[in-house]
Amino acid sequence: MKRDIYAYRCRKCGHLHYPYRMVCAKCGENEHNEFDPEPLPKAGTLLTFTELYALPGDFEVPTLGLGIVELENGIRITGQLRIDEPASGMKVIGEVEVVRNEEYEKYYGMVFCEA
Amino acid sequence: MRDVYAIGIGITSFTRLEFPLSEIAAYPVMMALKDAGIRKVDHLYVANMGSARVNHQTGLASAVVDTLSLTPAGAEVIENGPASGASAIKQGFLAVASGMHDVVAVTGAERMREVNSLEATGFVATLTHPLAEYIYGVTLPSMAGMFTRAYMEKYGVTSRHLAMVAVKNQDNALLNEFAHIHQAITVEGILDSPEAMTNNPYVADPLRFFDCCPVSDGGASVILASRQVAEKTGRPLVRLAGIGQATDTHCVHEREEPTDLLAVRRAAAQSFEMAGVSPSDVGVAELHDAFTILEIVESEEVGFFKKGEGHLALERGETRIGGKIPINPSGGLKGRGHPVGATGVAQAYEIVLQLRGEAGKRQVADPGIGFTCNFGGFGNNVVCLTFAREN
Repeated sequence: MKRDIYAYRCRKCGHLHYPYRMVCAKCGENEHNEFDPEPLPKAGTLLTFTELYALPGDFEVPTLGLGIVELENGIRITGQLRIDEPASGMKVIGEVEVVRNEEYEKYYGMVFCEA
Repeated sequence: MRDVYAIGIGITSFTRLEFPLSEIAAYPVMMALKDAGIRKVDHLYVANMGSARVNHQTGLASAVVDTLSLTPAGAEVIENGPASGASAIKQGFLAVASGMHDVVAVTGAERMREVNSLEATGFVATLTHPLAEYIYGVTLPSMAGMFTRAYMEKYGVTSRHLAMVAVKNQDNALLNEFAHIHQAITVEGILDSPEAMTNNPYVADPLRFFDCCPVSDGGASVILASRQVAEKTGRPLVRLAGIGQATDTHCVHEREEPTDLLAVRRAAAQSFEMAGVSPSDVGVAELHDAFTILEIVESEEVGFFKKGEGHLALERGETRIGGKIPINPSGGLKGRGHPVGATGVAQAYEIVLQLRGEAGKRQVADPGIGFTCNFGGFGNNVVCLTFAREN
C-alpha cells in the first residue's frame, strides 16, 4: 500500500501548512476545517541531520539517523534517515513507513534514502 | 505597575536528591524566607514540568504550600516546559506589580532522577510536536544535534568551540558548592586524547557527552515583593526590571532560517526595553546552555555579540568570569545542572547573588545589571529577565 503524509492548504489564501494548524498561519482564516489536505512530495534536499546515540527507551536499534528535509514544494519535514554517509545538501527520496512501535500502536512517518 | 524586588533567595544542591519532590520544592523557599527575614507570603508559585509523569504526583503546589505551613496562602503550579521557572517568576512579578499581592514566593523544582536517564530524556521529548517530531524518535539532544550541524556549516563553529564552553562552565561550577558537576576537564582530554571516544562519546552527532547538560534533581526559590516590603528587609535592593517572552513555531523544521532562535531575540529585546537598558549594560548573564551550542547562539541572539561571532568572543575569553560579559558564572545548566522546572529560578538566584555581591569565589566585579535567558522547548517558548541593583 502506498502511503502519504499530508500537508494542509488554506482555502482562502492557498498557504500550505505542515503540520496541520487550526488557523491559517498566513491569512488568519479561522473558519474551522477550511483546509484541503494535499499529499507531500517525497523527493527533497537534506538540510541538516544527526546520528542519535541516546534513543528513547522504546527504540530497539543502536543508533537512529534523523534529519530535516526541504521537499520539492518548499515544505520542510523532520524524518528518519536510512543513509550510510549523509551530507547536508544531499538529494534524498522518502517513503512512508512505520517509524515507531508503541505497545498498542504503530506510527507511520517519512523515512529518507539517498536519491 | 508597581516596582518589584527580589528580597530573598534559596537553592538546594543540584544532584540526585533522595527526598520527595514536594520537599525539594519547599526547602529553597525556607532558605529564601530566612534570607529575606520574613515568615509569611501572600501566594506561592511552583514551577515544575514533570511531577505528574515522572513522580506520579499532581497538585504539587498544594503539597508544597502545606509542607511549608503557609496555608491558607494561594498556590499553583506553572508549567512551561524547561522555561517553567522564569514563567513562574513572571507570574509572581505580575501579582506584585498589579498590587494584588505584596509578597509572593516562587519556587522551581524537579526530581528527574527518580527514573533512569532514558525515561528522563523520553519525558522531556514529549514537548516536541507529537505527530511531526516525537514519533520519529526526536529528542531534545537530537534537535540540538541537527541545529549544531547547521550552525557549524554556516558560521564556522567547531567541536573545539563547543568543548571550550563545556570547560568554562565546568570550571565555574567548581566554584559553586550547589552545582551538580564538580569535575575539571580540558579540551585536550575530551577531544584530542586517545580516550576521548570513550570518555566523551557522541550523543547526537556532532554533539558529544560533554556538550549536554546532566539530568538533575534540584530546587531554587526567589521571594518577590513590593518596594515597601523590600526596604524593610535591610538587604541590598535588587529590582526585577524587565521581563520578555516570545514563542516560535512548535516544529523546528518550520523556521524560515534554521540557524535563528527568533524567540530568544524577541524575548531578550522586550526584556531590555522594559528595563530601559541595552545588552551592553549587562554585567553578568545566565544563559540556557542545555547544550554547549546554545550558550554561543544565545549570546548572539540576546545582543551581546553579532550573529555568527559568539564563538569568537568565547575564544577571546570574553565570557569567562573576569571577561567583558561573564556568562554562566554558576556553571550554567552544563555545570550547575538542569532540573527542568527549577532552572529558570536557579538562573535568577545566581543573578540576585551576583548583584548583591555575595557570590564568593565566583563573584563578578560590580555587575550592576544582570540578565537571564530561560529557553523552553527547542526555542519555541523563551522567557528573559533583567535585574538591576539599586543601592
